[in-house]
Amino acid sequence: MASNPMQQFSVHKIGPEIKISGIDLSFTNASLFMIISASAILFFLFLGSKEKRIIPNKVQLIAELFYTFVAKMISDTAGSKAKPYFPFIFSLFMFVLFCNMVGMIPYSFTVTSHIIVTLIMALFIFIAVTIIGFAKHGLKYLSIFVPSGVPVVLLPLITIIEIISYLSRPVSLSVRLFANMMAGHTMLKVFGGFVISLGLLGGWLPLGFSVALTGLEILVAFLQAYVFAILTCIYLNDALNLHH
Amino acid sequence: MTSPEEFKTRLKIAKSKIKKHLKSDDDKKGSFMGNAFKLGTELVAAVVVGTIIGFILDNWFDTKPWLIIIFFFLGAAAGMLNVIRTARRMQKED
Repeated sequence: MASNPMQQFSVHKIGPEIKISGIDLSFTNASLFMIISASAILFFLFLGSKEKRIIPNKVQLIAELFYTFVAKMISDTAGSKAKPYFPFIFSLFMFVLFCNMVGMIPYSFTVTSHIIVTLIMALFIFIAVTIIGFAKHGLKYLSIFVPSGVPVVLLPLITIIEIISYLSRPVSLSVRLFANMMAGHTMLKVFGGFVISLGLLGGWLPLGFSVALTGLEILVAFLQAYVFAILTCIYLNDALNLHH
Repeated sequence: MTSPEEFKTRLKIAKSKIKKHLKSDDDKKGSFMGNAFKLGTELVAAVVVGTIIGFILDNWFDTKPWLIIIFFFLGAAAGMLNVIRTARRMQKED
């Protein structure tokens, strides 16, 4: 019986074990749900863009809503220079959103509740933004570590603090998503366990909490995808427009 | 059922209605909670990164407890800087 609230996060192999030069590349339930999320996005966007009607049907409306939502987010936070990065941020937002939402289906697996997944995404963003910054501005990009208007005496200290602050970006980006998803799903499971253990007499209160928490979790699932994408935009903005 | 002409007039009416509500803060409501979630991890992450840097440098230079202590506080300072920056950005958005 899966009474352990952390049981839902266990990764197990599906099918045969695949090992390439000592690295375990077996197909797991995490990979399965990543594929499910990615194909759900493809399917949904394919349906949404199949008929290009002037008066959109429901699926097309939702697809266009997502498009304008991300496009507005990019132009609001990073300006027009960030337009070429729209495909990347859009795929990122959709992938995180769908992983979170697929995780809300009972008996499914939440990919984003594993720190390795979120950390890889955050590190990719971090390295990409750093490369973009150096490619656009050359060595002048290092000036983001030296804020203007600081007395010379304090400059070494401030520079070290700025470097730590810069390096903390991928950590805060990944930990935020991972912690929110994991905490929420654990809480759902704990309240679900209360319903069973309190039985028919006392189980109604935790059941009500469970329903309310499910609603909250759906909100958090959307919000975390939004925050993940908007922070990527903000970091991109710092790299593209140096004068901040 | 609905002819294109009829749709055009309806669109015009709807557009003028939207214009009235455009300046209202309806679409900003969702981002408030997102901002609230943002601040917490911002502080912790910098402290963690600072401490890890201190730990690595300590092992490097063999100065055991000193650099980890210094970098812990530098990390805390960086965390506060992050929080202040995020808060300032949130104020600018409104």
